[in-house]
Order: sequence, then structure tokens, then C-alpha cells
Amino acid sequence: MKFSLDWLDDFVDVEAAGGVDGVRRLLDRAGIPIESVERRAEDAILEAEITPNRPDAMGHRGLAREIAAMAGRPMREFAARYAEPEGSGDTTEQLTSIVIQVPHLCRRFGARLVLGTEGRPATEIVRRRLAAVGAKPISAAVDATNYALWDTGQPLHAFDFDRLAGGLLIVRRARRGERLVTLDGVERALESSDIVVADAERPVSLAGIMGGLDTAVTDATRNVLLEAAWWDPATVRRTARRLGLHTDASHRFERGADIDAIPGALNLAARLLLEAAGGAVAPGLLDAQGKLFRIRRTALRLSRLRLLSGDERIGLDFAEEALVRLGFSTERKGRRISVSIPLFRADVRREDDLVEEVLRVWGYDRLPSRLPASASAGSVQEPLREVEDRLSDAAAAAGLFETVNYPFVDRTADEELWADWLRLTESAPEPLPLANPLDASRRHLRATLLPGLLDAAARNLRRGASGVGLFEVGRSFGAAGQSDHPESYESRRFAFALAGERRSHWSFPEKLRPADFFDARGVVERLLEPWVAPKDLRWKPARVAALTEGAGALVRTAAGELLGLAGLVSGAERERRGLAVPVFAGEILVGAIPSGAKPFHFRELSTMPAITADLSLTHPMDLTWEELSAFVVGRNLAHLESFHCLDRYEGPGVEGGKIKTTIRLTFRAVDRTLEQEKVNSEVRRLAAELSALPGVAFGA
Amino acid sequence: MASDPIQALLGSFREEIGRGVSTRGEFERLKGRFLGREKGLVPELFARLKTLPPGERGAFGARANAAKTEIEEAVRRLGAELERREAASRDRAAAVDVTLPGRRPRRGGLHPITVVRRRIEDIFLRMGYSIADGPELENDFHNFEALNFPPEHPARDAQDTLLVDRPAASPLLLRTHTSPVQIREMRKHGAPLRLIVPGRVYRKDEVDATHSPVFHQVEGLVVDHGISMADLKGTIAAFLEALFGKGTKTRFIPTFFPFVEPGVDVSMTCIFCRGDGCPKCKGSGWIEIMGAGMVHPRVLQGVAIDPEEYTGFAFGLGIDRVALLKYGFPDLRLLFEGDERFLAQFAGEA
Repeated sequence: MKFSLDWLDDFVDVEAAGGVDGVRRLLDRAGIPIESVERRAEDAILEAEITPNRPDAMGHRGLAREIAAMAGRPMREFAARYAEPEGSGDTTEQLTSIVIQVPHLCRRFGARLVLGTEGRPATEIVRRRLAAVGAKPISAAVDATNYALWDTGQPLHAFDFDRLAGGLLIVRRARRGERLVTLDGVERALESSDIVVADAERPVSLAGIMGGLDTAVTDATRNVLLEAAWWDPATVRRTARRLGLHTDASHRFERGADIDAIPGALNLAARLLLEAAGGAVAPGLLDAQGKLFRIRRTALRLSRLRLLSGDERIGLDFAEEALVRLGFSTERKGRRISVSIPLFRADVRREDDLVEEVLRVWGYDRLPSRLPASASAGSVQEPLREVEDRLSDAAAAAGLFETVNYPFVDRTADEELWADWLRLTESAPEPLPLANPLDASRRHLRATLLPGLLDAAARNLRRGASGVGLFEVGRSFGAAGQSDHPESYESRRFAFALAGERRSHWSFPEKLRPADFFDARGVVERLLEPWVAPKDLRWKPARVAALTEGAGALVRTAAGELLGLAGLVSGAERERRGLAVPVFAGEILVGAIPSGAKPFHFRELSTMPAITADLSLTHPMDLTWEELSAFVVGRNLAHLESFHCLDRYEGPGVEGGKIKTTIRLTFRAVDRTLEQEKVNSEVRRLAAELSALPGVAFGA
Repeated sequence: MASDPIQALLGSFREEIGRGVSTRGEFERLKGRFLGREKGLVPELFARLKTLPPGERGAFGARANAAKTEIEEAVRRLGAELERREAASRDRAAAVDVTLPGRRPRRGGLHPITVVRRRIEDIFLRMGYSIADGPELENDFHNFEALNFPPEHPARDAQDTLLVDRPAASPLLLRTHTSPVQIREMRKHGAPLRLIVPGRVYRKDEVDATHSPVFHQVEGLVVDHGISMADLKGTIAAFLEALFGKGTKTRFIPTFFPFVEPGVDVSMTCIFCRGDGCPKCKGSGWIEIMGAGMVHPRVLQGVAIDPEEYTGFAFGLGIDRVALLKYGFPDLRLLFEGDERFLAQFAGEA
């Protein structure tokens, strides 16, 4: 909001306040920072940032009050400026009348008549000052209202009196179906929640927002009715928002105008109009009143002032002086001040608000600075955050980069192929839409992180990366929540995607191996290891359209709790996401991880030598490693310490439909050196029992 | 006179060893010729001992032993010398261009937002704060009403809200700030309280270099007996100095947030010019970094904490903005594109 230093000087001696720089410093301290200053020959234009609680500072008089209070200087005498202009002829009351039908929403409505004006421009000083604050000079009548607005902060409106049917004004609710062409030439359909100013026949102004075109003053206007009122902030805001209108008037009324400023603003506007365009002012101000405000009184205790400020140096003498300078009336009562709050400070309601007023004048920079003395109860972390942080660390250590992706998706385009996964996680039978999306084509909240992550992977590949490894920790959303528990719509997720070559060095001599399912599964195993040992994870093939059949799996705990999925992204999903190369991806349900500490016990180390034995068998493909290893465990081989899959082979030399698996078995006794023959006999026993399984054979 | 065999042997040996050897083969041949167990010239010399008359054996034996010692010693030295030369040559073969880059184990990295968030968390954990969390999908009650934003209040304009299209008693929305977690934590735990809440927040902002509909904040809340503005000032000063480095000064100016009273805009020494004034700080030497204030008594009353017994302060700052300032990248959009070339730059920061 722009202010003219020259205009401010009408109310406070700006030279004595330190000129532009001094004023700027004072307003900073007041909490009205000056964004920029434009210096002109006779003036300086200040661009001030005014928070929505301070409509009182949205005029030169109000801003000057802040400057004076902060500078500790008196305001200049300005009563004459707002004094009633000398009138002649019939009184306003004889010429027109006002009816307020909504006294809570229009608490005061004032009007003045200036008759017999000529269509002339405003005086030079009015035009100059309006131009300085960015208001385009229009005509003597319009400029008079605008000037009074920028002077007092009170919005006004000028009607062509002769165009008002019946020569009267009625403040009422709009009727359904009524229409009004506003000053901007747009026809507005009104609703019964809107308040209008009407003449005997029709609405002539959208209350507090914009006047009507039909009754606006023009060069031909001779008789002008000036109007200033107080409008209910919430009502103005609702209507303005619905119609997409934001005006100087609505901006102030939404924030709360000063009901006491109405007469002075009308007097000033009438005199300016008279000066520029001649004519005569009808004697008397027509002042219709709705439901009036009561003056509020609040006590300010010294103890509260010192408690909140933490400053023992501030006393009530200072507080009282500061409040008076800001326009409050005070009365000392021992260790407290009884304060009457002026109506222009609707933002000040309670004691702590008064503390702020006093401290603004005192200066926040003068307050002492220390750390809270109270003993801390010790810090705790929300448990899932810790899980998420550990997942992220492990993923970063595994070579993946963390991303943050927008959660706005289209269910069909982005998540259709993941439907089986969404169904399994029970999070999103239907998508959760936004009522006012940024982009109508992405109006749903994501139910899985994977499509967004795959899009990020595709972006990297498009930009020339030969490989990419990404992850994200975030939330997904589903419609299956309970509306009174917003958190129930959320699911915390971890997702990753791995694609293409992962070259890490200029001279790695070994051949690059394309990523496969086991890289993806390995990532999941490593990530979950702090809570679930890899051997305690259960993997089962998944049927999810976005994953390749046979190369995607669901992972659960031994107890059957679903933890996530991982696999090779299917051709169909890759096509949708624009991925030309194979991509492996997975998602973990963070909330499902049994995040209590995993029981951990130290195992005795044996100093005895181990004996290893390799066993190769050919078997049908549908005998899984999980079944095979369960079988081995079930044989209870003496001194078997561990075993793992050493190799898998299918191809020439192995019958079709079969695969050759080599198992490496490690035997060790804790207390003595094992004899080779004992190991051999156990391996023979295992081989014999395996041979009994259908389709299992040894040798080539 | 028949030549003295010992002198002859020594002469021949000295001549040969004088020529030196250049390969292991030459050395082995030399060694074998003189010291070889079967046909070596030195064992042959001792074999000759038996053919001598007994009276000469003593003197001959002594001289032969001396010759053997000399030859053995010389061969040992030559062997050691050869060993050194060979080792040096092996080392030369292992030499590399040490200016080539090392084979670093591959690693990924945390997002710059995470890097900054963890720095901030570390600072407050050391000050005894807990870390709390709340849902990103919130309702109007927690996001606005309980924080003293009346319905139809212009203060809501600054936080253009993404609304969830789902009927609910209190309208559902994506939280516009982390402050609703203040309400949740105070309702759950009451006072006293000392916590921070890092998290993702949403506003209906079109994407450009300085705006994003998704961004990140850290909220702080302390409620206890006797908490004052002085405590707020000290805490923020300590925090910003820890985050941006020693000598970072802070400045408080009044401002308005519905849920605090008094409310404060916190500026800090411009990190680009260290306070001298530059285009980034519009010549003021200060840059705005966070908002703060004393918890509004209505907010406390709303969560059944007596504002006469307890007071508190709250603060909030944007993690994205801190990352932008700290790392000097020009465009917020980089944070949300997932470009590995951008992300990899922060791998060393975590």
C-alpha cells in the first residue's frame, strides 16, 4: 500500500521524525515495514506492508498516528480538516432519507449532499496526491471520495443523486434474482447473502465493494450524494470472494473499518468537492445508525506486561504513555491500567494485545534475550519419523537419491495399473479428490508414491542419464478414512525406483550387470533389516498390472503382515510413464513395519575350522528356493551351520522346465574339529532325501 | 709352478663378480658355478682336500675356508642387491597416476530438504526439544479455527488452501502450515511442552521459481511457567547462529499471526553481504527468515491450558527457503524435479 510522505506531514512533522529514513525505521519498529521508497522532488512514496489486523493504518492519518507514537511526538492539530463544511439551502434530511434494514451488518450509514456542482477535475493537490498513491484521478466527485479514503482509511462512494429513484437509499439484503451492473461494467447476479444499497426500485451499489454503473457520477452530474458506512467484514468478504472482486473499499471493510471516521471523511470529501466543482453543501450530515458498538475496556496488569516481555525494566508509566499516544484512553488503578479501546482498533481485544501495543513502542530490540530456564523433560522423537529417517539413510547408503514429488495425480492416468496394489493396502478403494485442484487434470491425491517416482526416473533418463536410483519418503492418501479423524486418510510410505546402468567409476573393469529383481529385493531386505531379519521376510509372487508377471512380489512378515512390494515394472506401466529401459521399483508401508526393537542376541564364535560342501541338483522350476531351503532345514543335518544358494543355472545340459541349483553347505562344530567323513555322510543323507522329491536329480 | 687352486678360484670369482649380474638367471648361474652343492667350484676345492698329503691339509683347509667365506659373503651381498633391484622394479610396475580420481564406493544422498531439516532437528534436540509429527491431511479445526483464525477472516487469504472434496463436520484440507500440530500436541500432552514439528505443507500456489504448492516448515512450541519474549529472542538467536554461523544477528519486528500475540517477524543478518546491504536484502542488510510470537491466550484456552498459569512461544520457518539461502540455488522447482545431477550435489552435505 502506497503512502505519500508529504501527505503524512499533514498529520505529523516528518522532518522531526527523521525524514524518510527515520520514518522507515519507526514504522519497522511499529510492525509496518516499508518495502521500498520512491523519492520524488517534493515527496517520497513509501510502499508499506500492512498486516490484515491493521485496517486503521490503511490511511495517511492512521499511519501518521503510528509514526507519532513510535517517535514520541504529538500529532499535528487536524480537527479543522474534518470539520463540518458550511451549508446552505435545504438540509440533507429534508432532501433524502436512509433506511437500514440490516442493523448488525450495517452499523452506520452517513450521507452528505453537494448540489449544483460542475463537471470539473479535482484541485491540483488532490490529483497530485492521488497519483502519488497510485489512484488515477477521475473527476472532482470521485477524487474527493478517493482522497478521503486515502486520508482517513474510510471508503466512500459518490452517487449521482438525480439518478436515485425516490431520492432515497435503503440498506438491505439482495433479493434472489436481482442483478446489478457494477462500475466495471460487469453485470452481477446477486444472492440473498449479499448486502446492497438500493434506491426505491433497485440495487444501486454492492455494499462495501463497488457502486453501480447506472447511478455513478459523470461529467453531467450536478447533484452528488456522498456516502460512507460501516459494513460487516465477513459479509463483505464472502460476497467479494464469490464475485472475484477485490477493491480498495472491500480490502478495508473486510478487515474492519473505523466506524468513528464516517462523519469526518464525509465532511472532508464534501469540502474537497465544493472547492473543485463549486455548488453548495446541504446543511447537516444524515447519520443513520444500526446496532452500535460499545466501547471495550480491558485491564493491563504490570505483572502480565513483565511476564510476557521478560523485561523487568518496563513500568506502567511508560505503558500508559505509549497507549495514550496510540489513541487509547487510560486510567491508572494501582498496579494496573484500565484501558478504553478506540473503535478504530478492532484488533485489540484483550490484555495480551495491549502488551503488544506497549512493546511495539518500547521496541522489541530492547527486550532482553535468554534461553528458557525450565528443565527439559528430555527429548523424544515421534517413532515413525525415526523409522523414516533410518530407511532414508539406508537407501542413500545403497546408492539411491532422495526426491520429493508432488502428490497431485489423476487416478486413471497415474494409478490404474497399480489398482491391485491399492486394493491390497486397503488405503484407497476410491481416489480422494481435491475440491479446488491447481490443475484439473490432476485432481486426486496420490494413493501410492510409485507413479510420481517413476515419472522422476523418466525425467532423469530423458535428460540423458544412463541410469537412475531414486527414493521418496512421503504420504499417500485414500478415501477410506473417517471424516472426524483426518489422519486416518493418510498412509506413510517409502518407495524406490532403480533403472538402467549404475556405473560408479571411470575404470571399473568388470562388466556392468543390468539390475534385476534381486537388486530390488535386496534393497528392501537391507532397508528392513533393522526391524525384520531378511530370513523373516516372506516373499510371494504379486499380480499387479504395473509389475511384470513373475518378476514382482509382495513381502510380508512371518506373521503375515503386508510390508510392501517390489519388482520389475511392467511394459504397460513403463509405456505410461515414458520409460524406455527396464525399471525396478518397490514401496514399503512404513506404518506396518514392526518398529519395536528386534531382539538381538550375541552368538558364540567358534574357533574350530569349518567344512564346506557343495551340492548340485536339477529340479522342476516350480520347486522354489523357499521350499527347497525349508526342506534342507527340516533334515536337521548334524553341525550344519548355514547354507545358501551358490548358483542357479538353466540352459544347455539342463532339461527344459528344470533348473540346476547349487547349494553351499557349511558345517562346523563349536567344540572340536569335524571329521570330513561325518560331513560327507550328512551330505549324502541330504542328497538321498532330496532325490525322493518329484523331478529332483543329481549330476548333469 | 703349478698355480695355487685357491688363488685361481678367487681370481676367477673376483673377475666374474666384478662384472656383476643383471638378471636373476645370471645370478643363479654364478652362484651355482661357485657354490653349487654338486658341481660348484668351492665344494670341489674341499673335495681336493682329501687328495692332499696330511701335512698340507691344515693350511690348505684354512685358506679354503677363508675363500669360501669371502665367496659366500659376496654372493649374499650380490643376492641382496639383486633382490633390492627386483623389488624396485616390481614397485615401478605398480606405480599409477595418483592424480586420477579414487574408486569411491557408490552412494546416493538425502534430499537437500532432508539435509536442512536434520540440521535443524539436531540443533533443537541438543536444546532438549522433542520432535513431533502430525497429518498432512488436516481439518479446518486444527489448521485454522483452533489457531484463532475466525471463519471469513482475511488472515486466511495468505494461506490459500487446497480443500479435500469429502464431506466432514470440520472441512478437510491439506494443511497450510505445521501449526495444527501445536494444537494436537497440546491437546494430547498439555503443558509443559517443548517440541518442534518438521513437515510438508501445501498451499494453492502456482509453481514458479519462488512458489510451490508443496513446501516444508519447521514449527517450534514451548509452553511452560514464566515463558517470555526474552526466552523467544534467546532461543531464536541461538538457533539461527547455530544454523547460519557465528555472527548471525537477529532482529524482531512486530507482525500479525492470529495464533500468537505479540507476533514477530524475525530477520537475520543478510547471509550474502553479512549486513552491509546488497540487492538480495534490498540494501537493508537484513533478510526475513521466520515468524514467531507468544502463544495466543485463546489458543491456550482452546486446548484447556490456563494462560494465567502457563505462557509459551511458537515459531515457524520454511525449510525450502533456508535451503535456497544456504545453498544458493536459484529456483525452487529444482527441489521437486528429482534430477540426480542436482540431488548428487548435496550427497556430501548430509
